[in-house]
Amino acid sequence: MDRREKEMICIVCPNGCRMTAQIDEQANIEVTGNKCVRGKEFAMREMTNPVRGLSTTVRTDSPELPVLPVRLSAEIPKARIFDVMKEINNIRVTGPVKQGTVLARNLLGTGADLVATADMPHQTEK
Amino acid sequence: MSDIKKICRKIEKLSPKISVSEERGCIVLRGQVDDWSIAVKAGQLAVNKKKYLGVINDIKVRGFEPSKESLLPEDSSLEGQSPDVLIIGGGITGCAAARQLSRYKLNILVCEKGADVASGASKANGGVVHVGINFSASSQKQHYNLIGNQMYEELSKKLDVPFERRGQVMLCCKKWERIVVWFLAHLGEKKGIHGTRYMKRKELLEHEPNIPEFIDGGMFMPIGGITSPYEMTIAMAENAAANGVSFSLETQVRGMEVEAAEDGKGHIVSVTTNRGKMYPKVVINAAGVHADEIADMAGDRTFTIHPRRGTDIITDKKVGYMVNTSMAKAPFAVAPYEKEKFKGKAFATVRLLINAFNGSNHTKGVGVIHSVHGNMLIGPNAVETPDREDTATYRDEVDAIIRMQQHLAPGLEFRDIIAYFTGVRAPTYEEDFVVRKGIFTDNILEAAGIQSPGVTAAPAIAVDLAEWTVEELRKKMPVEYRENFSDERKAPPRLRQMSEEERHRLIRENPDYGVIVCRCEEISRGEIIDALNSPLPVPTVDGIKRRLRPGMGRCQGGFCMPLVMDIIAQHEGVPLSEVRKAGSGSVISYGFTKGEPEGAAAAAEKAGGKVAEAEAGDAAVNARGAAAGAAGKEAADE
Amino acid sequence: MSKEMNFDVTVIGGGPAGLAAALEAHKAGGEVLLVERENRLGGILKQCIHDGFGLVRYKEKLTGPEYAQRFIEEFESAGIESMLSTFVTDISRNSNSNSGFTIKAVCSKGVETVNTGAIIFATGCRERTARQVFIHGTRPAGIFTAGTAQHLINIQGQMPVKKCVILGSGDIGLIMARRLTLEGAEVEGVYEIQSGPSGLARNVQQCLIDYDIPLHLSHTVTRVFGRDRVEAVEICRVDENKNPLPGTARRVECDGLILSVGLIPENELAESVGVTVNKATGCPTCGENQMTDVPGVFACGNALRVFDLVDYVSASGEAAGRSAMEYLKEVGLHG
Repeated sequence: MDRREKEMICIVCPNGCRMTAQIDEQANIEVTGNKCVRGKEFAMREMTNPVRGLSTTVRTDSPELPVLPVRLSAEIPKARIFDVMKEINNIRVTGPVKQGTVLARNLLGTGADLVATADMPHQTEK
Repeated sequence: MSDIKKICRKIEKLSPKISVSEERGCIVLRGQVDDWSIAVKAGQLAVNKKKYLGVINDIKVRGFEPSKESLLPEDSSLEGQSPDVLIIGGGITGCAAARQLSRYKLNILVCEKGADVASGASKANGGVVHVGINFSASSQKQHYNLIGNQMYEELSKKLDVPFERRGQVMLCCKKWERIVVWFLAHLGEKKGIHGTRYMKRKELLEHEPNIPEFIDGGMFMPIGGITSPYEMTIAMAENAAANGVSFSLETQVRGMEVEAAEDGKGHIVSVTTNRGKMYPKVVINAAGVHADEIADMAGDRTFTIHPRRGTDIITDKKVGYMVNTSMAKAPFAVAPYEKEKFKGKAFATVRLLINAFNGSNHTKGVGVIHSVHGNMLIGPNAVETPDREDTATYRDEVDAIIRMQQHLAPGLEFRDIIAYFTGVRAPTYEEDFVVRKGIFTDNILEAAGIQSPGVTAAPAIAVDLAEWTVEELRKKMPVEYRENFSDERKAPPRLRQMSEEERHRLIRENPDYGVIVCRCEEISRGEIIDALNSPLPVPTVDGIKRRLRPGMGRCQGGFCMPLVMDIIAQHEGVPLSEVRKAGSGSVISYGFTKGEPEGAAAAAEKAGGKVAEAEAGDAAVNARGAAAGAAGKEAADE
Repeated sequence: MSKEMNFDVTVIGGGPAGLAAALEAHKAGGEVLLVERENRLGGILKQCIHDGFGLVRYKEKLTGPEYAQRFIEEFESAGIESMLSTFVTDISRNSNSNSGFTIKAVCSKGVETVNTGAIIFATGCRERTARQVFIHGTRPAGIFTAGTAQHLINIQGQMPVKKCVILGSGDIGLIMARRLTLEGAEVEGVYEIQSGPSGLARNVQQCLIDYDIPLHLSHTVTRVFGRDRVEAVEICRVDENKNPLPGTARRVECDGLILSVGLIPENELAESVGVTVNKATGCPTCGENQMTDVPGVFACGNALRVFDLVDYVSASGEAAGRSAMEYLKEVGLHG
């Protein structure tokens, strides 16, 4: 493996530490600039398999609430975000839905479920 | 030396590239120059009101490209129509004429290029109902302004438009300037402008407590007033529409067919627009900055519009207290901050004095106005431009206007500014209105060169236009009064101005009046729906904004724009993406995120979406199939 | 006229600050009313669907609606009175000092009258507009503040732009850069007049760097082109005084301009009761207990000053709620 160095801003908490991670030929990772252990974990993951959470919306069939906010239950590989977005965009929800309801499981095999983050009050008759 | 030779010589000196000729009683200028200011100067030098009908200035400026016009729909909705009267232009003049003519049993059509009435200069001006003290006594401006000014009280009452006669003040800085005021007041009295007098600083402070130290006093003109120019235009249009006048918006006149009539004059046979060709009996040209183009199509051109941009600035209502009337520094007054400019230039000062009397101050200069809505309005400046549609604002100009006004309103700060806008005025080189019957064409009436004081003058101009129109029509057909004509119009109720009891009662009748949509201006859903149900509804974000003011407050629509869109979409039964800011091309949103077109949900269903079982609770998830997704995509691409 | 209502504390605004203030005043034993303009509680959090809320308070990464929901549930189960879709039009101080205030509020039932001992303003903030940052040129469709664009996308599900420029690197602007990208729009770049980003560093990473969106510091938008819809914007580099540098103008073709150029506390209503508001910042003059210079009137949340994190907004609401009750006990209006 090649020796690499990467600068990054930690996204774990609002402190936003500016960190540098170095990876050597033996795949040992050294992190500097972090103020806490969670920062170090984040930096190490960034060097190997960067992951991100995703919050977006899904379409509903309610004219009053045409989209419902949702998030993933777990972080997914950064590279898969747009594929997962596409998948989420194909979903359509009929109410009522309570916050926390799982709307779809294991999206594209990522292991992450799609969870409603708000209530969709009532079913609308058309 | 003959008059034309004098003009030739002056223009030869200015630029040898310009040719001068006399055609049909007009001075005609042709050629190409590098600088627009030379073209304008040439036009001004060619003026001789006594000997010629007007200046036709066709000088081109090298490399000039007019800014792009709005996208207009192309259809045939007007094809084959034959209105008795076609009014070209839905500004304040055209709408006033339409209202005046709606007293008669006639088929009247107003064509307006913009997506609403009052789309041009009628929207973008300060709304001062002028005194007209500085217009030359023989001018049409003077004539119509004075009549119009006196019509405003009753008109505003009948049309339910705000109007306040707060007076107009020209501020003076030195004691000797009182003499000039005395002369002007005296001249004014002779013209029929009553009550004008010098007010010393102490008395003036009662009207304007915030004037700066260096003000000695001012010429106070009690007949000066203030209205809302676009609301007045809309009110006139609504009143006309309620009396049967048709309006065709986003409609542009593109050509005319003119035949030789028996009297040797031309006669307009047909008028072509982007919505078809029609055959009007009489045409009224109220086309604002395009009036010379329309007159040219009709073969009746004796004048040239040279567009003049004016930018106005609006402040937050919080600083509205800084001015109570509409005031400007008198054009002949020299303030301390201007001393440098006039030092050793006695002639410049004399020039200012002369201009004060002969009416050649083309704009009354940047001033401050207390608007009918309580904001302070600052402006306008005056910039000549070859571009009739250049309503952009420019940083240096806005900065200059604010800096200049900080002298008169010392408390004014940049952060008090909430909006600024530019209008393009439509002066002729004679700097007067051209309100007349056709000279070379028998069935056209001209209402051109209507710049300031057009708002004041419009109702008076309309009276003449209507009279002449009926006179012309009666040559061919009987013209009768319309039964059940009403010259009154009601605006949507303004709940924020009502007493608590009245407001409560109205909300009880219509709960929508209690749902506030615009927090800055306190406009309710009910008022918006009323505007959408008016005789001339304009269901766009700007249309609602002009009628009721949501979006004109300090947040400038940040909060209410999406809500107004919702109400329009619901009321009109269209998807949100169909709601426009103004014209057809002013798309606000492109339809649903997720790449799915609105209203296509049902189509997607048909295309074979499979319904998944609810994962939890009673939620049902409909994961649409690939086919549905593809169908949606295609429709979205259209 | 409806019958008059009497409360110890009236909270104006049902966002995170107002909810926290109402809860805290309730816990301190007050009869509390919360007045909210919209038909739902939660304020701006309803449209902030991204996560990152509540890290300080709950040590969890919550989305805006989830964070709001925790307070809404607590608020509802506490049985605190609220008036939704209700807009305060007028507040007057009762004649004898320390005897509270009379509030007039408009709702679909009519004009309501509320008597209250203390008032807490939790009215949030509004966004600075294009005109206020002196952008010139035309005024076509396609210019949105970041919050308006966020409302269109996250609440109405509408796509406001295809290819846009974002002016200002405030947090909402950064969040919207990512949000628009996720929904398929192209963000040409984020331009910031200051020499450093104004949003949180983590948002620069997760909203811009993650999506290869360039951040141009010391740049601003000076002009908009387009008659009907935005067709392009002009971008200039600025000098240290933030004035555009001549000769640096560049035209960027785009169909939208999103503005994230600052927030102004909304205190017009507070001003109408006599609260002194700083002209430059829009912030009310407050003592340590968040009482304004009008006794009995308190401010919290973004109406007090613009906070980075909602966690601090809630804390300021709670402080105001407590202070209001202490004040009432002191002047003998409570108990």
